[in-house]
Amino acid sequence: MEIYLPLLAQGLAIGLLTGILYVLVALGLTLIYGILHIVNFAHGEIYMLGAMAVFYFHVVGGLPLAPTLLAIVVLSLLFGLAIERGVFRSLRGQWLQLVVASVGISLVIQSVGWIVFGIQEKTVPTYVPGIVQLLGVRLPRERLLAAGVAVVLVAGLYVLVYRTKVGLAMRAIEEDEETARMLGVNANRVAALSVALGFVLAAVAGAFVAPIYSLNPGMGLEPILMSFLIIIVGGLGSITGTVLAGLLVGVLQSVGGVLFGAEAAYGLVFAVMIAVLVVRPAGLLGRA
Amino acid sequence: MTAVLEVHGITKQFGGLTALDQVTFTVGEGELVGLVGPNGAGKSTLFNIIAGAFPPTRGKVLLGGHDVTDLSSHDRARHGIARTFQQVTLFPELSALDNVLQGLHRHIPGRFLAGLCGTSAYRREQRQLEERAEGLLGALGIEDHRDDIAGEQPLGIQKLLTVAVALATDPTVLLLDEPAAGLAHEESTRMMDLVSTVIRRRCTIVLVEHNMRIVSRYCDRAVVLHFGQKIYDGPPGKLTADQRVVDAYLGVAELG
Amino acid sequence: MSVKAAALAVLLVALVALPPLAEPYVLHVAIVVLINAVYAEALYVIMRMGYLSFGHAGYIALGAYTSALLATKLGVSPWLGILAGACVAAGFAWLLGLVTLKLRGIYFSLSVFAFAEVVNAVFRAVDAFGGPAGIANVPRPSIGGVQLNGHLGFYYVVLAAAVMSLLFLYRLAATRFGFTLLALRTHDTEALAESVGIASARHKTLAFVISCFFCGLMGAIHCHYLRFVSPFVFTFFFSTDLVIFNMVGGLGSFWGPLAGSVLLTALGEQLFAAGYYKSLVYALVLLVVILALPGGLIQLPRMREAWAARRLRLAKAPVTAVER
Repeated sequence: MEIYLPLLAQGLAIGLLTGILYVLVALGLTLIYGILHIVNFAHGEIYMLGAMAVFYFHVVGGLPLAPTLLAIVVLSLLFGLAIERGVFRSLRGQWLQLVVASVGISLVIQSVGWIVFGIQEKTVPTYVPGIVQLLGVRLPRERLLAAGVAVVLVAGLYVLVYRTKVGLAMRAIEEDEETARMLGVNANRVAALSVALGFVLAAVAGAFVAPIYSLNPGMGLEPILMSFLIIIVGGLGSITGTVLAGLLVGVLQSVGGVLFGAEAAYGLVFAVMIAVLVVRPAGLLGRA
Repeated sequence: MTAVLEVHGITKQFGGLTALDQVTFTVGEGELVGLVGPNGAGKSTLFNIIAGAFPPTRGKVLLGGHDVTDLSSHDRARHGIARTFQQVTLFPELSALDNVLQGLHRHIPGRFLAGLCGTSAYRREQRQLEERAEGLLGALGIEDHRDDIAGEQPLGIQKLLTVAVALATDPTVLLLDEPAAGLAHEESTRMMDLVSTVIRRRCTIVLVEHNMRIVSRYCDRAVVLHFGQKIYDGPPGKLTADQRVVDAYLGVAELG
Repeated sequence: MSVKAAALAVLLVALVALPPLAEPYVLHVAIVVLINAVYAEALYVIMRMGYLSFGHAGYIALGAYTSALLATKLGVSPWLGILAGACVAAGFAWLLGLVTLKLRGIYFSLSVFAFAEVVNAVFRAVDAFGGPAGIANVPRPSIGGVQLNGHLGFYYVVLAAAVMSLLFLYRLAATRFGFTLLALRTHDTEALAESVGIASARHKTLAFVISCFFCGLMGAIHCHYLRFVSPFVFTFFFSTDLVIFNMVGGLGSFWGPLAGSVLLTALGEQLFAAGYYKSLVYALVLLVVILALPGGLIQLPRMREAWAARRLRLAKAPVTAVER
């Protein structure tokens, strides 16, 4: 029993950090789905591109980290605007076509990824090596950095959505589009911005998760499935819900891994998620 | 007069909110009853419960003497109840004729194998069904729109079509949810005239209406709901004299 | 006889008479085209009803594995195995349908996807089912003691099964059951359908079961053709391909998924062996069709109308994509 406590504490700590990582990855998906109700299947691929960009610009190309990140933000923003204008806009109101189109985009990016990047796994060396010891728990600096970025982005998103005029426009569109339009909200601009931001969030998440796991063009599939699960369990359209669900998944997975082993932990996560959905079909903080 | 629809002690609670509180009334054969009340009084909730969209917290619904409270809406349709919805609800991608054909479902034998093989008997039966559907469209004056896509039609035509679809089930009781809402004056009159003549001949009608003028003019009886409770049940003419109704509508212009 | 019927008759005669003259590779393409056509039309049954499934490969896998296991472990004749595969797939569809068909939109899609992943995961994990390596040496069926090991003999089996399946699925839309399915496309129309006496849950379940029956059937046949099955054959990407066939062909009629699957499968077989190029081309074709040709390839003859309708719809369309 005495051995367990520090292990559990470690598991909890890592679980929280992993959870925040999940939140980071799910954030872009939450934004686009929360406001436009568009299921962006390409989310996982943008995440992959963000990670690959770090590899090719920074590791291979030698570009320092800051300009690399800036380039990633700019490129993903432009890409998001292009996709919204080129694809999503012409499919307005057609749920089925939108979903399938985003799957198509995801496939294109992934296929091109395999062809261009190849099957060899790539690694990005850590941005901040070392471990921090806090209250007997060992926290890798890399994960703390990613967690820090996540916290900043979540805070930023809150400020944007709840404290700015743009955010107000976004919420208005989500709640009642017709009325919002009548009140002068430019729906096109809100749509474009939401998608672009969603893409940026996905790419940045990829960039900061890159040093933690190895890279391959198929790496986007698991994150997007996890993200979907998280935003559904957290409640569609709720940033807080996403945060809570992400942390829950992370902690369950980690603590469950300590107690029952990794495979069983996975099963535990699924079981709890399904249980939550049975009790509250709209998700933890969702509106039915 | 036989009671075709009986509602006994219907109570509906959503969480802490009581939408309906012990509502009881009876509808006799051939009547045209208006269900009235301000917004939020519980009219649509009551309709949904009668039609079987969801169950009441307490109480019973009887159709033609049968207790249908535990039946699903599709089972209830077999007992002769049909409805329209507050928001125009149709099969938008299908033609007007196909919409009515869907409504005839209750009366169409499955004939899976015959349909699969396309026998001549099957095709003959199909033509008869189509004629029947055309007849219903004609009764409501929209037979010209037979092949038009339902979702593309103007509101007036759509509302008439929703009634045609409901009528196709050959109901004993027809629940009409604000049939005249959203219609221009002419269309509204046309609709209500049809309701009080053609449709009335085929079945008993309960309609939800905001507009007191319509209720006074066309209904035999008015049932008034206020905050989920029935506060009046009688001839529409005496409505304005009833103190409780006046109090409920105080400040609401529609009473005029 | 109408032009269409005459054309189909000619096609049928060609499909029966020409193969003995064809090279094995052509027969291979023909077999794959026929199999995929049935898969696509099987999926169409539920797509027509408004349900988007990214997990149909799971039912195909169930059919394939059932027959493979019966043949290799118990020596059961492939003919019985194929039928068993179809029934197993249908059975699971019925069970799953009880839960998943209550869901709509993306929830449904994710749940059927999850099931398919679970199926493959189970096949991967359990050694008795062959594990990651799968099951090899799955025998071909025999007729009159002769095993159909060559392409030609098996081609006729596939042709017969495909023609019968496609005929059934084609006529399904002409039945009243098929007509009733059109009433169940969205949550709102379902409520309307219920109010006119349509037992929507029963209809949806039956449609789902029929859809998966044919997936299991052709999946078993597919497996006997390849003489092999593994958890990596009928994957999520396979399910996506079927969706692509449907969307590219068009959901407006039976001919859509047929056209989509025939064209794309034939195209796919011509391309590089590497799956990535095929996926890329499929995805690009999909995007081009979705954006430029709403309603899919079958709308080609009526393209101008389709474009006009599209512009009309876009003018009124909201930005938020609520599932209707």
